[in-house]
Amino acid sequence: MTQLIYLTVLLPLIGFLINGLLGSKIKNEKIIGAIGSGVIGLSFLIALFSLFELLALPEDKRQVIVNLFTWLKTGGLDVSIAYQVDQLSITMALIVTGVGFLIHIYSIGYMHGDKGFWRFFAYLNLFIFAMMNLVLADNFVLLFLGWEGVGLCSYLLIGFWYDRKFEKSTTSDAAKKAFVVNRIGDFGFLLGMFLIFMTFGSLNFTEVFARASGLNVPTYVFNFIALFLFIGATGKSAQIPLFVWLPDAMAGPTPVSALIHAATMVTAGVYMVARCSIIFASAPAIMTLIAVVGLLTAFFAATIGLVQNDIKKVLAYSTVSQLGYMFLALGVGAFGAGIFHVMTHAFFKALLFLGAGSVIHGMHEEQNIQKYGGLKKYMPTTYKTFLVASIAIAGIPPFAGFFSKDEILWYSYANGGLIFWLIGVATALMTAFYMFRLLTLTFDGTPRFDTHHKHPHESPAVMTIPLIALAVLSIVGGFIGIPEVFSGSHGNLFHGWLAPIFKKAEIKLAHYGSHSHTTELVLMTISVIGAASAIWFARKIYLKNPQFAVNTAKKFKGLYKVLFNKYYVDEVYDFTVVKPILKGSESLLWKFTDVKIIDGTVNGLASIVEKTASYIRKIQTGVTQFYAVIMTLGIAVALFWIILSL
Amino acid sequence: MSIEYFLNSLYLIKPEIAVTIFLVLIVLLDLFFSKKNHLLPFFAFLGLLITGYFVIEQFDIKGLAFVTNDSRAMVTVDSFAAFFKTIVVITSLYFVLLTVNSKEMDETHDRRGEYYTLMMGMVLGMFFMISGSDLILLYLSVELVSLSSYVMAGFAKTSERSSEASLKYLIYGALSSGLMLFGISLVYGLTASTNLYELNALIVVSQANSFVLMFALLLIFAGIGYKISAVPFHFWTPDVYEGAPTPVTAYLSVASKAAGFALLIRFIKVSFVFDKDTLGFWSSNPVFNWQDFLIVISVATMTLGNFAALWQKNVKRMLAYSSIAHAGYLLTGLAVLSDTGLIAILVYFAIYLMMNIGAFLIVILIKNKTGSEELDNYDGLGFSMPFLGVSFTIFLISLTGLPPTAGFIGKLYLFMALVDAKMIVLAVIALLNSVVSLYYYIRILKHMFLAKPKENSPKEELSLQQILIVLSLVIPVIFFGLYFSPIVELAKNSILMLGF
Amino acid sequence: MIPIEYYLILSAFMFIMGVIGVLTRKNAIIVFMSIELMLNSANLTFVTFSSYLGNVTGQLFVFFVMTVAAAEAAVGLAIIIALFRNKQTVSIDEINILKW
Repeated sequence: MTQLIYLTVLLPLIGFLINGLLGSKIKNEKIIGAIGSGVIGLSFLIALFSLFELLALPEDKRQVIVNLFTWLKTGGLDVSIAYQVDQLSITMALIVTGVGFLIHIYSIGYMHGDKGFWRFFAYLNLFIFAMMNLVLADNFVLLFLGWEGVGLCSYLLIGFWYDRKFEKSTTSDAAKKAFVVNRIGDFGFLLGMFLIFMTFGSLNFTEVFARASGLNVPTYVFNFIALFLFIGATGKSAQIPLFVWLPDAMAGPTPVSALIHAATMVTAGVYMVARCSIIFASAPAIMTLIAVVGLLTAFFAATIGLVQNDIKKVLAYSTVSQLGYMFLALGVGAFGAGIFHVMTHAFFKALLFLGAGSVIHGMHEEQNIQKYGGLKKYMPTTYKTFLVASIAIAGIPPFAGFFSKDEILWYSYANGGLIFWLIGVATALMTAFYMFRLLTLTFDGTPRFDTHHKHPHESPAVMTIPLIALAVLSIVGGFIGIPEVFSGSHGNLFHGWLAPIFKKAEIKLAHYGSHSHTTELVLMTISVIGAASAIWFARKIYLKNPQFAVNTAKKFKGLYKVLFNKYYVDEVYDFTVVKPILKGSESLLWKFTDVKIIDGTVNGLASIVEKTASYIRKIQTGVTQFYAVIMTLGIAVALFWIILSL
Repeated sequence: MSIEYFLNSLYLIKPEIAVTIFLVLIVLLDLFFSKKNHLLPFFAFLGLLITGYFVIEQFDIKGLAFVTNDSRAMVTVDSFAAFFKTIVVITSLYFVLLTVNSKEMDETHDRRGEYYTLMMGMVLGMFFMISGSDLILLYLSVELVSLSSYVMAGFAKTSERSSEASLKYLIYGALSSGLMLFGISLVYGLTASTNLYELNALIVVSQANSFVLMFALLLIFAGIGYKISAVPFHFWTPDVYEGAPTPVTAYLSVASKAAGFALLIRFIKVSFVFDKDTLGFWSSNPVFNWQDFLIVISVATMTLGNFAALWQKNVKRMLAYSSIAHAGYLLTGLAVLSDTGLIAILVYFAIYLMMNIGAFLIVILIKNKTGSEELDNYDGLGFSMPFLGVSFTIFLISLTGLPPTAGFIGKLYLFMALVDAKMIVLAVIALLNSVVSLYYYIRILKHMFLAKPKENSPKEELSLQQILIVLSLVIPVIFFGLYFSPIVELAKNSILMLGF
Repeated sequence: MIPIEYYLILSAFMFIMGVIGVLTRKNAIIVFMSIELMLNSANLTFVTFSSYLGNVTGQLFVFFVMTVAAAEAAVGLAIIIALFRNKQTVSIDEINILKW
């Protein structure tokens, strides 16, 4: 089965081709939906069997490379369509296909009646195809192709409802923003790739990583490579300073937000850093940078999430914040913990988004949580699953989020220091708070909408079943990563599973001294109690005393405004980057450099080319004897040349 | 020479014999069953298939045929020859298909017999150009190809353009071959031999008179350069390509160019190269600096081809200049004088066959509907004829050399060979040339997709056969762009040439 | 015995005359004759060398060249006639609609 891993990539492509080419002719939503979800389901099954096969192998043999074909092989450059199945890639593949499958099913209900139904499924399948290439690639080139591919699909899907308004502008503006910001990151990634090729003479993972740990390469080279790769990761995974596109990406249909902008694509950066762990481990300065960026992103995004009123916006900032957590984990050298959080986050965040989608669906496209309230009784299943997800993200044991988040917090304390831990916990508390603010405002209390005209309804089974499945995963998903403190001699299963991948990097980092179980337990207890009290606090305010929130907001009007306007980052970027670039490009670049210099040069070159061309053309006079003369002259010139060289 | 040996030699030239038999049969059939001459294309097609079978058989065979008492072989059979013969056969097969599907050729239907006889004659000539190893045979085969193609270029004899093309071709060709013949006579005088294998050793001996030798080689190159339309021997190309019936143009641009290249490569490699190092770089006889010579010629050829193509208003003429440019790229591969360069040439030719024939095929099919090859009449065709428009786009992208088409692979291998040989400047020039070429290829697309369609622009309406023919070229262009190792492997196995 | 140089100079002279004829004469038929002259100069060179070197290959070559020359003349005249039917001229200067 492992040898058939390429099918997990191929099947979504087939789905894309069928739906993309024939979708407009099939028209039947059931068939399109069945094809679209079916291929992903099959992919998932194949990945699952591959996992079992991998488990049956001895630990040091758990790396299978399936070379589909070598596209180009010359010198050191070996561009192959080759898939690498190992612990890390199969984990990611399972997350992508598994969560992807559920979201596909959900979309059948969510997109029902949309005129672009087939287009939607075609894009989704294409996205899975690109994403599977990304996670299964055995070389940087293929990874980059997948990387660009998911970016393209994200662009297509954000702008899916190209005819709808989004906030002040259109969805295609949001799509464009995502595209441009991602390009900046991709450029960094590309530079990193070039540097890797220059340094190690290869782009194949196995070779690069072997040489990275073997060759004597100066640290600054590693620093540059790691920096460029990390810039790529900040673009894709929405970290400071390139996070601004993700909240706007919510313009896309909600399943897209769940699949691409929560569960899978945005974690590509985390995956990439984890995959290149040995390179990053050799660049200590960049590791610190990653940890700090991750921490700051987690913290600031959480503060913004506190005051947002758009249900998807809250979740978007929560995603940014959780991604920050993952980078914190990577930065402190806990690669396994980062990937673990990728997994659990995929479960509960996908669930949250799908739940939000269900609410939006039931509320006829209303997204403002201030206009919700009391939805509990209208949509009980959505409420229950949403509750599970909220508890999970808040980090209450024994839900999935608890284990992964706590592992990260523990490593940030052990490898980073107290301050990392403190900010991390503060973020966790805020997360618990805003999630329960969201939950309470949406589902509890009395309806704040016109109950006579609006009749919220529970979503159909095709939408609630994926919710339930994800809820179950959010509850039990963490058990494979029970920390050593509880499981004792078994150790952390998930950690042990991934350990061979990160072994070299961890040896290089080598800071695994202070592993006191007592400290771990104490810290854990503090964070859990903190989270629980945040939840209690949130419920108390928004259920019993909503006026308190309004008053607080009034009291700290300045702060509130700053948070509500997302630290004015968009405005700041607009002011410091976009406007100057526009202005500068208009006056300097366009009017001067472009018109005068570049246009001048290009036009000059072009006109030289054109002029020369028109002269060259005239040589062809049409008179045969003229041709013959030139030919004879040509021979004479050559002869002359020969005489000279004799 | 024993009879056994003679029979063995005949065995080695099986493909040539097959072509000859079919040539004669076509003449006879045309003579005795002139009422049924609409079956001749099928018959020619069949003949080519059978010939092709014999050619493919020869991929693993190597041998010298017609070795005389003083051990001079007239014909060499090796996998290099088999590769180029395969290209000629495939091109000829498409030539038949193109002719059948071209409205332009309708008026010549009563002369089908001559047409296919001439084609078979050309195939025979090209076969001997590819595998001949004696200057006598090479001269004769060049003449055979030329004479047939003069007539073919003027085959639409009521068309002023066609007959003008024919006459220009004739004068220019006769002059070039006259020069070549004089060159051969001088080489013969200096070395007392016309055999390529013997020349290798004898040329060293005759170095005393190297000026005359170089002059002679230059004249011989004029003859070959005219066949491959290298600057400054290219002048006939645009005029003849524009004036000749389009199937003939397509045929000349691929098949006779391939034969010319095969001849040039064999001439250089057999007569001048005496050793090669482990990296596959050839050491050639210092008597003539082929490398510098070819570099200059190739730069001139591709630059002129690309620049002159920029302003063309007639698509066929533009493709003519483009084919000159491609000859320039191919010559860079030869200028490297190495095995990698040779592999690159073979790869490029295999791909060039698909994309160039494909481009001409589309031109024919569009002309069938619009009756024109002028660029202005291509306005909006991308919408009124979407299938042809998209196919043409793919061929043009491939001709430019952009991924994911096969053309990219061809260029890539050529550039890699240049970089391997540290000929960076040449590689950069070739690259810049590709950029220039992008401009005129895109111009066709601009007309097809961005210009407003003419009113009452004709519908696509292709027969199933035509669609299949187009697809048989489009699919490989894409497929080999993604999965090209078969071509590369084939090329690697085909550079085996007898002699050094 | 006449030295070999004489023959070679004669043939070179013929060759140059032929080339100049091709380059300058306006009548297509005369251009053809000039081409024949070129071929014959090559023939002369071949037989000269053949006799000088005592090698028959050159003479062999001449036979083939003569055949080719005949074929070329036949094809050439046919094409000139076809062109004349279309344009009523055999002047090379006037056949230039295909250009640039």
